[in-house]
Amino acid sequence: MVLMTEEKELYLGYASDKAMTPFMQKFLEALDGEKLMMSKCTSCGTEFLPPRQHCQKCLSECELQELTETEAKLHSYVIVDFAPESLSSKAPYVVAIGEFPSGKRLTAHITNLMGMPEVGMSLKLGYEHIDAKKLTYKWLV
Amino acid sequence: MARRVAVVAGGHSKFGKRYDATMRELCAEAYKPIYDEGISQDKIDATVLSYAASQFTGQGAGSALIADYIGLQDKPHLRVESACTTGTASLRAAWGMVAAGLYDVMLVLGVEQMNRVSSATATEYMSQAGDMRWEYPFGISFPAFYALMASRYMHEYNMTHDTLAKIAVKSHHYGAQNPKAHLPKEVSFEEANNAIPICRPLNLYDCSLITDGAAAVVIAAEDRVKEFTDRPMWIKGIGAGASEMKIQDRTSLTSIPGAKRASKAAYEMAGLGPEDMQMAQVHDCFTIAELIAYEDCGFVEPGKGPEFVDNKENYITGRMPVNCDGGLKSKGHPLGATGVSMTYEVMKQMRGEAENASRQIKDVKHGFVHNVGQSGQFVNCFIFERGWS
Repeated sequence: MVLMTEEKELYLGYASDKAMTPFMQKFLEALDGEKLMMSKCTSCGTEFLPPRQHCQKCLSECELQELTETEAKLHSYVIVDFAPESLSSKAPYVVAIGEFPSGKRLTAHITNLMGMPEVGMSLKLGYEHIDAKKLTYKWLV
Repeated sequence: MARRVAVVAGGHSKFGKRYDATMRELCAEAYKPIYDEGISQDKIDATVLSYAASQFTGQGAGSALIADYIGLQDKPHLRVESACTTGTASLRAAWGMVAAGLYDVMLVLGVEQMNRVSSATATEYMSQAGDMRWEYPFGISFPAFYALMASRYMHEYNMTHDTLAKIAVKSHHYGAQNPKAHLPKEVSFEEANNAIPICRPLNLYDCSLITDGAAAVVIAAEDRVKEFTDRPMWIKGIGAGASEMKIQDRTSLTSIPGAKRASKAAYEMAGLGPEDMQMAQVHDCFTIAELIAYEDCGFVEPGKGPEFVDNKENYITGRMPVNCDGGLKSKGHPLGATGVSMTYEVMKQMRGEAENASRQIKDVKHGFVHNVGQSGQFVNCFIFERGWS
């Protein structure tokens, strides 16, 4: 008798791309445990955030590795007032590009702002379970 | 050695919310003036259809539909797609085929029908031109990408929204004089500066329009040009560039690297520089995009765009008249038609045929076109040269 293990169905973000792959499933399982994964090329060592399954330089396979940086500076932002249809109920919301000390960048919502965002302000990496299937990384001030 | 190629004729539909037409009727409207000038279907060897986003209409095989509708059903056709640069990508593809000798005379026909869906749905479709895996889940709309550039530009160069509002005022000033424009009305500085927010720091008057429309040009090989016109507009320089897919990966957000590469390549091919241009059509999908274009195309140094705007150097009376047809902002932005419309406008200006004398640029010998796709992933620049004295 073969026991079937049931994979948890997970998607990234508020309006998710449903085209899943085993690589992305691993990324999301780690995110479910509040770990943000980058990827590193197994051949040339180049690192990518967000992760890629294939190296942009040599097309070799990459492996997922936990990102150890958690604090960043706000590189740029937008306050989305008129949103795409899939996120219209959530508007207005703030999307920010944060830059970690290593230079790696990440695009996500800032969810706890009390005032206006400012370029250069400090950001901290956070996580959110949006619903039973959707989860995301986010920025906190 | 490639053959020289010229634009020999053009046509343009009325841009706007065209509930009276779908893409087939719009294309007929754009081709009709060309037909009336004597370039009937039998004189055209092949067509490139510039049609960016089939999700707006649900129509597959668009080039077959259009070719059939305008009586070119027995001539080869193909569709080109590269977001908002689809128009100039189509012209580039057609130029290559004519220059190489595959065809002598080609029709480049750009069209988009965008208003049969709601604004929210249109915004949804355009947001899907971002990275579906890493950007789309965060609701980064098309204006949001440019707002990210605007926030960074404001930070690096201490620019205020006043500069962007002045660009909107200029665009609407010229659009009000263009009967083909979608929104032909003047806008005051106060209106442009205080409009409802769309993607802060960008407001309603910073954003181009969701427009239905079509534009067409015919190009011909040098040994066939005289059959069609004694006023050919030669394609003198072409440059194409590309930039990173995810906007976060760009080294700079105050410039579009692909645009710098494209303009440099176009100038090199033409053997000319920005100082040789008498006009420019730049891709002002947002006011910040026009500002950045001044710098990427070499009209001013990086960071000097606001000064260029303050001094009204972008007006007809200025050093480099820009978008004196209203641009994407006031004339409208039917995605696939835009690059073709820009080309048409240079031809009309060169011929002294702007519909109103008040927006006619004097003595245009060289005109520049800068057409950007999405947030800079694709860019085409063209330099056109007047072929008569």
